[in-house]
Amino acid sequence: MSSSTSDGSLSDYATVSVSPLIREIPVTARPDMRVPVRVYADEYLWQQIVRDRSLEQAVNVATLPGVTGCVYAMPDVHEGYGFPVGGVAALDVEEGVISPGGVGYDINCGVRLLASDLDLSAARPRLEAVVHDLSRSIPSGPGRNPQLDLTATDLDRVLDEGGALLLERGLALPEDLPNTEAGGRLAAARSACVSVKAKQRGHNQLGTIGSGNHFVEVQVVNEVFEPEAAAAYGLRRGQITLLIHTGSRGLGHQVCTDYVRQMDQAMARYGIHLPDRQLACAPFDSPEGQAYFAAMCAAANFAWANRQTITSSARRVFARAYGTAGRLKLVYDVAHNIAKVEEHGGASLCVHRKGATRAFGPSHPETPAPYRAVGQPVFIPGSMGTASYVLAGNDAAMTLSFGSTCHGAGRAMSRSEAKRTRPGHEVRRELERQGIIVRCPSSSELAEEAPTAYKDVERVVGVVHQAGLARKVARLKPLGVVKG
Amino acid sequence: MTATPLLPAHEMRQHTSEIELHVRAGSLGDLLAEAGRALAEVELIKADCVPGGPVRTIRVTSSDREALLVDWLNELIFLADFDRWVALDFSINLAEETEVRAGASGVTLEWGLSRVKAATFHRLRVEDVPGGLEANVILDV
Repeated sequence: MSSSTSDGSLSDYATVSVSPLIREIPVTARPDMRVPVRVYADEYLWQQIVRDRSLEQAVNVATLPGVTGCVYAMPDVHEGYGFPVGGVAALDVEEGVISPGGVGYDINCGVRLLASDLDLSAARPRLEAVVHDLSRSIPSGPGRNPQLDLTATDLDRVLDEGGALLLERGLALPEDLPNTEAGGRLAAARSACVSVKAKQRGHNQLGTIGSGNHFVEVQVVNEVFEPEAAAAYGLRRGQITLLIHTGSRGLGHQVCTDYVRQMDQAMARYGIHLPDRQLACAPFDSPEGQAYFAAMCAAANFAWANRQTITSSARRVFARAYGTAGRLKLVYDVAHNIAKVEEHGGASLCVHRKGATRAFGPSHPETPAPYRAVGQPVFIPGSMGTASYVLAGNDAAMTLSFGSTCHGAGRAMSRSEAKRTRPGHEVRRELERQGIIVRCPSSSELAEEAPTAYKDVERVVGVVHQAGLARKVARLKPLGVVKG
Repeated sequence: MTATPLLPAHEMRQHTSEIELHVRAGSLGDLLAEAGRALAEVELIKADCVPGGPVRTIRVTSSDREALLVDWLNELIFLADFDRWVALDFSINLAEETEVRAGASGVTLEWGLSRVKAATFHRLRVEDVPGGLEANVILDV
């Protein structure tokens, strides 16, 4: 099959249909491939996927030393820097490499969901004031957090320990950390491996949303697909929830920049030759590989602490508006840009998930105890104005995708195209017509993040559900959004 | 016949979550200065800024000229994110394949900054052409 790309070049990869929702680019498609590439998509999404260079990038990833099994592309895959967004690759920790490009610039970009005791009818009278208060209490855009300027020692503690410092300062509840992926702390983190520049960029960014498609959203559970799992997660129809989508801010970007540069210079020493420089990598057990892994884990800890600090701000806002009824319980927090060492099929692998979410099933030991009967929660944020989804991890995903699923809708238009297609004031009016309250720094930025600029999240979620990568549990309808 | 040196110029193309800079100039030094000006155009949403204040010295070393372009832009991005200082005007004192030394004047802003997060190696290209050099570099926004 020939796939036409957006710049008119042809991406000629013969594909084999494994099932109605899985296409495979076999290992014979290009001489330098070490493993096949498997793409999860229906026909509609497939036609979107072949418009950019996602598949060529997935094939490039399939050439990395030590890559095992298959490289997987989720249904929301799109072209990234070197490694496609929506890609999953597992590399042997003894024979393989680690690649900062396989994690991405926004290390541990992720999503956390908080559930209130409020129903929509009780929340609605104060909803507009709540969204406004959230926008005033949580810095967005390229903003800093003047309330929390960390000392060098404090920042190192966050990098090394994740949320412990926040717990001491009353910015986290004891029950928050166990309900965060990895307990909100990767033990391999070493603040000493994070550059001075990265720390300078991050020291006053804890508790901030950032820009792009990051947001804080007030939602209502408007449909439950699997009542047993919804009950396990503490979710019910008509309930008010809060979704936080952000990452490691400038600190994570600088860590990625620093180590892409270092590994680009180190590859020749290890005799590694790649089709794309942005995939720069080093053997996992080399000094460069270990330093990046330690710095990446530290940036991941910072991102979890960032979402925790935003949680604390949101709790204060809800308490001001609703008193004790506005209590927000953390359901879970998941990363979708990260590399983690995991056991798969008896092998120790460094699983790179870039724009992909871990989705462990009921029997996995890392699934939190309260969720063992149903699998770990997974959150798939929609675009502004469209629904988000709560999914549950499946045991079957371990063999289908190294225990991974999609991460969101993914952009379908450039920012300038989105602005040309629909001006910001029209986007705002349309959202208001749907009853969605919006707080955004500018109309221009609102236009960039218009729902039409993104792929159809319902279709993406439908594919992962049907393919068995995760199960649909609930749909969350937006009521008010604070845009980054 | 010697080609006429290219005048520094740049174009920008937007993709899904990135901006592609296309830059051309008669020399490597002029190319780096033009790439810096193009970055400032993206960083400053409101573009009517006059450079002023003390001239800052910027020095970057890299493994080759492609990496030098990426590292140069990433240094400017770091200064914008950390210091809120956007370099606008450049005086290139030395530009070799693996090193650039420059003086730069710019503006410090609290608001109105754009959101360039990194310059990448993705589809990076620096090529000799008649009259100078051409380059493509992708910015993460």
